Amino acid sequence: MTGNRGTTSGRVGGRRSGLARPWLYALLVLVGVAYALPLVWMASTSLKPADEALSGSIGLLPALKQPAGDPAGSASPLPPHSSSPSSDDRPYIARLGSQIRNNYREVLDSSVADFRQYLRNSLIVSTLSVIGMTISSAIVAYGFSRIRWRGRDATFMVVLATMMIPFTVIMAPQYLLFKHLGWIGSLRPLWVPAWFGGAFSIFLLRQFFMGIPRELDEAARLDGCSHWGTFRHVIVPLARPALVVVALLQFIGTWNDFAAPLVFLNHQDKYTAALGLHMYQTEHTTTPWNLVMAASVMVIAPVMIVFLVAQRSLIEGVATQGLKE
Amino acid sequence: MLWPYTPRGKQRVPKGRAELQYWEKWTGIEGLALQKVVDRYNATQGETDRAWVHLVPVSDITSKAMVAIGGGDPPDVVGLYSYSVPGYAQARAAMPVDQFTGWSGELSSRPYLSGVRDLLEHDGHRWAGVNTCYTLGMYYNRTMLREIGRDPDRLPRTVGELDELSDALTTYEAGGRDRLARAGFLANVPGWWSYFWPIMFGGALYDRASDRATIDSPECIAAFEWLRASAKRVGVGAATAFASGYGRNIHTAQDPFMSGHMGMIVQGPWLANFIRQYRPDLDYAAAPVPVAESVYDPERPSGLLEADILMIPRGCPHPEEAFAFLCFMQRQDVQEELALAHCKPSPFVSTTPGFMENHPNRSVRVFDAIAKSPKVQILPRTTAWKQYSDLINTAFDSVWLGADARTTLMDVQTRAQRMIDTAAARKRQRAGSGVGA
Amino acid sequence: MTGVARQRVQGLLWISPWIVGTLLFLVVPVGMSAYYSLTDYSLIESPVYVGAENYREMGRDPVFWMALRNTGVYALGCVVLGTIVSVLIAVLLEQRLRGSGMVRAIVFLPTLIPIVSASIGWLWLYNGQYGLFNALLGKIGVRGPDWLGDAAWAMPSLIVMAMWVVGSAVVICTSALRDVPVALYEAADLDGMGPVSRFRHVTLPMISPAVLFNAVMAAIWGLQVFAVPLIMTKGGPHDSTLAYSMYVFRNAFEYGRMGYASAMAWVQFLLALVVTVGALWVARKFVYYRGT
Repeated sequence: MTGNRGTTSGRVGGRRSGLARPWLYALLVLVGVAYALPLVWMASTSLKPADEALSGSIGLLPALKQPAGDPAGSASPLPPHSSSPSSDDRPYIARLGSQIRNNYREVLDSSVADFRQYLRNSLIVSTLSVIGMTISSAIVAYGFSRIRWRGRDATFMVVLATMMIPFTVIMAPQYLLFKHLGWIGSLRPLWVPAWFGGAFSIFLLRQFFMGIPRELDEAARLDGCSHWGTFRHVIVPLARPALVVVALLQFIGTWNDFAAPLVFLNHQDKYTAALGLHMYQTEHTTTPWNLVMAASVMVIAPVMIVFLVAQRSLIEGVATQGLKE
Repeated sequence: MLWPYTPRGKQRVPKGRAELQYWEKWTGIEGLALQKVVDRYNATQGETDRAWVHLVPVSDITSKAMVAIGGGDPPDVVGLYSYSVPGYAQARAAMPVDQFTGWSGELSSRPYLSGVRDLLEHDGHRWAGVNTCYTLGMYYNRTMLREIGRDPDRLPRTVGELDELSDALTTYEAGGRDRLARAGFLANVPGWWSYFWPIMFGGALYDRASDRATIDSPECIAAFEWLRASAKRVGVGAATAFASGYGRNIHTAQDPFMSGHMGMIVQGPWLANFIRQYRPDLDYAAAPVPVAESVYDPERPSGLLEADILMIPRGCPHPEEAFAFLCFMQRQDVQEELALAHCKPSPFVSTTPGFMENHPNRSVRVFDAIAKSPKVQILPRTTAWKQYSDLINTAFDSVWLGADARTTLMDVQTRAQRMIDTAAARKRQRAGSGVGA
Repeated sequence: MTGVARQRVQGLLWISPWIVGTLLFLVVPVGMSAYYSLTDYSLIESPVYVGAENYREMGRDPVFWMALRNTGVYALGCVVLGTIVSVLIAVLLEQRLRGSGMVRAIVFLPTLIPIVSASIGWLWLYNGQYGLFNALLGKIGVRGPDWLGDAAWAMPSLIVMAMWVVGSAVVICTSALRDVPVALYEAADLDGMGPVSRFRHVTLPMISPAVLFNAVMAAIWGLQVFAVPLIMTKGGPHDSTLAYSMYVFRNAFEYGRMGYASAMAWVQFLLALVVTVGALWVARKFVYYRGT
């Protein structure tokens, strides 16, 4: 571990930066725009009517042109919802509002996918796995940081090593296990494993627990506290910020998970939002891009909210990874 | 309301019904037509038959069904392709429909076309019900033929005539032969049936009696040599660019045939549905795919017959109700209703009056004649077919790009035969160890 | 002695959830798959023992080698390009520019986006006909290729997309940059180093542990790539983006060759183990560097 983090910032360039400042700002803006663009474009497409999404226009907001005179358009029957009401002289903002409502409602009411159900399933799975992961990882991290025992550090190395094993390596073997347990098709494979701790969460919490002064729990032990008491009344209250980060990362990880639901779920009424989105996209022979993007935005939304609320602690949580001893 | 208490669809199920999960691959128009049929079934269910069928659209249905059945979590009825029958039969992953008590009364005497019946059976048992069938034909843009001064009622019958017409229709964008402005016929658009072409030369892919792959036969080699030559004539680069430009737009408004960028295309009867939807004014006709001179027989057209099928997975929650539903789906009126909605021919020997006359596919008689022809082929009935067809796909790609047809197919033959032999050996092993069922 | 033993029992008790979980969800399945890798097992049929046949089959399966190669290319692309991109962005973010906090957040955000959404979004960006990239190229008179439909462009396109999710690496790099002691820069200034040689001789060596860590993570991430090609290209065109994990998935759950898939998963497991041991070895080296 290195101790001297972040007292002042920005030492790399200093005054004598190689590039003139305006150029650096231009570069910064460029990077910002480039990284924001895919999400912005996704959101932008989700607001457009079908024909405009496919028009090759690069405007961020739909033009919502009035169908003037309807040139030869009536011959090809368009699906409902996709055409705006024929003569609509409400202000642009109102038309935009109803256009957006149309797109999102069409996704929610789609006949091929029940996104309400998928979002609910995702919420169930995420909640259960967040609870399990946070509690069990905290317990395990305590065993790795506040109790001295022989073989502890070697065992911890094994924990770190399991972090490196990708899910795709064990998806087929796990499928066989869950088949024997009779869990295929249920939500259990998606959250039960979280109740046994996860390598990354254990790692993160252990780092944090190590930073808590030992005197505190020694004092607690002198007062007659057991390990459990110390954990409950000293460590957990002090580690609340780290626990929150672990919980949020676990929420995001579970919400985003694709491979496990793909392998373990069979019936649509059990689909998670991410899997449902994939299904929704492949189910259409011709992709209605505006609707698929609307669905995509709905799946992103909860994660986005988490990010907006807890941006700083999430970034710092991830930054800790690099400081592995 | 984002969180209604009950999932959608379950709300309207009357109390006390056995709820069946029916997985099917169709969406769009085809899915809607099926939903109507299922709704009708659910509506007829009264006091004695207490079932309710949920129609669930499933993508990648072949693998999903296998994973669900293998994992012990199957639906009650699953709509698969006919090539799945041998594998499911051998694994006993589906329940043989001839073992149900209602079999002799309901199903045993259905007057299926003989090709269709072949597709439903394996090892002496019936494993599935049919759920529409189709053959492949050649579609022509008649307006385009007229434009170049051809008689739109005199369509090519032989491969030679096909090549000649294709060349006459082909035009390039200005500045060389790199990009096609209009294609005549291209075997790689849509590249879905790379195993189809041997049929045009009288070749077959598999001999059931000896359990051998036969893709090294002179007829198959002739077919692939013809493919290689036709790619070369158009220009491999131009043909590939055309395919990658239009290949993803098949069955959309930008479909190369429907949008008038391709004069001829090999397609199934359903294309008529998409024409109805996107180009109702398109003047088209379909005919049996042209064949080699020696194979040509106007009375007995060549072609490929395939069917969509319904199976009852082993271990499903409601087998008896599933069987009752399957029997309903085998009724002539039900299959004809679906066939009409999907623009396909009927899977039965005879049709009710008006079926042909009111059929939305103006060329339905062509597809029907192929389905009834004694020369019609079905795909190899071996569990190794899926892998075999993957080999053929790869072989098609490389021959199309210029590889030698004979050596390529010899290689496919060796590898396919090994797969077939392995499959047979495993079957014996399983039978020997007595753990098959 | 009893104290030591009791401590160990205590410790093991506390970490027992992890032990049980690892045994149940890792060791047992991997062990089971070791057995299944020696069988012909179609998921819907009972397994038949075939010895090492599946492992021999891998050797002569061209698609296997193709998948292995594709995955290697992808991982290599992610490591090399990802390292360059993440270091450059990290350095840019540490230039005390106003608004860099916000850009850092923007760069980090994509790492949290569900992989399905990200893939579908990029599928749309890359769309040959209506995608934003080709629309923009069209504005300057260039006819863009069908990015994902062209065997030559598909893999590079996927690697470029991977550059969108380098946020974690950037964040790790920036925090390493902040740990570089000011004194070193001052010394470099006194030595009259220009910005480039200062970066080369001071900054880079000091942040090399973080960069190496990022590279290892990128390698592991790249070697397990699965969802992105599955959703965006289905492995095509012509298997040019078929990743190893996808091929395992295909064999297990599409072809129903669970035995073969288990054998492939085992090989992948051993490869992952090699990379991991390498990573831990590299990590140990870092401590040494830092200490001196």
